[in-house]
Amino acid sequence: MNCPLKTEGFYIKQHLNKSITTKKMKSTDKSERILESLTGLQKAGAPDFFYSRLTARMQNELLSKRKQIFILRPLFVTSALFAVFILNVFSIIKFNTLKEPETTVQSSNTATIESFVSAYNINTESVYE
Amino acid sequence: MTEQELVYGLQNGEELAFKELVTRFQDKVFNTSLGLLQHNADAEDIAQEVFIQVYRSVKDFKAEAKLSTWIYRITVTKCLDQLRSKKRKKRFGFVTGLFGADNKPLYEPQEFCHPGVQLDRKEEAAILFKLIQQLPENQQIAFILNKIEELSYREISDILNTNESAVDSLLQRAKQNLRKKINELPP
Repeated sequence: MNCPLKTEGFYIKQHLNKSITTKKMKSTDKSERILESLTGLQKAGAPDFFYSRLTARMQNELLSKRKQIFILRPLFVTSALFAVFILNVFSIIKFNTLKEPETTVQSSNTATIESFVSAYNINTESVYE
Repeated sequence: MTEQELVYGLQNGEELAFKELVTRFQDKVFNTSLGLLQHNADAEDIAQEVFIQVYRSVKDFKAEAKLSTWIYRITVTKCLDQLRSKKRKKRFGFVTGLFGADNKPLYEPQEFCHPGVQLDRKEEAAILFKLIQQLPENQQIAFILNKIEELSYREISDILNTNESAVDSLLQRAKQNLRKKINELPP
């Protein structure tokens, strides 16, 4: 006996299987196409004047190194150290001369404080008696 | 000039030898750098650094490997350093911001296609190059050296200091990973 539903289901299932297989084939095709896209690739060549640019860069790097070396030359270093030494000595002398007037300022300050304390009777002995 | 004469000339600081070296290897170095870095200006910059490095350290070259192997190794190392440096900068993008003061992007988007790709395959090749960047480093190197630079398994194994079966394994895994990523792409 023919069962029309079973036949229909069978055809639907066949159709679904076919579409899944087609999809799989398409994705395999796609992945293969992408993976094989580099076939026949021509290698890229270095840009024009590569050697000239390279040598120019090497010369620039050499010049900047020479500047650095100049800074480290003994005469330059000695002069720089000497200049720093002189500056330090000068600063110390200046600092010492600036320090002197402070003692007169301090003594005048003490005098002012003492007169203030005696005028207002602020010493601690009077508070606790 | 044989390789021996070339190395001898380089170790003696001869300019002619250096010029010969650059002429012989500039295309190989640039093509490899371009495949790995996927950026013209970076590739040229790294290619220059490779030759500067060769110039500085040729005195330590003991000829245990071929000169080309040594140069390829330096190229791959420098390219990897550059890629790692770029990744680090991108990671800190949330601190520095992705745009500069004049609203120009600090990190250029990677829309690269190798200039040697055939015209009818450019679109697929652009997708492939984007996916290659997502591969682990060793798979990336093996794939680029094989597909872009067209080196044999033997040559790649010398550069990577491994054996041919390891190179084959790397390439198989690279292809598997690429297939997986292609299938994950939106239709």
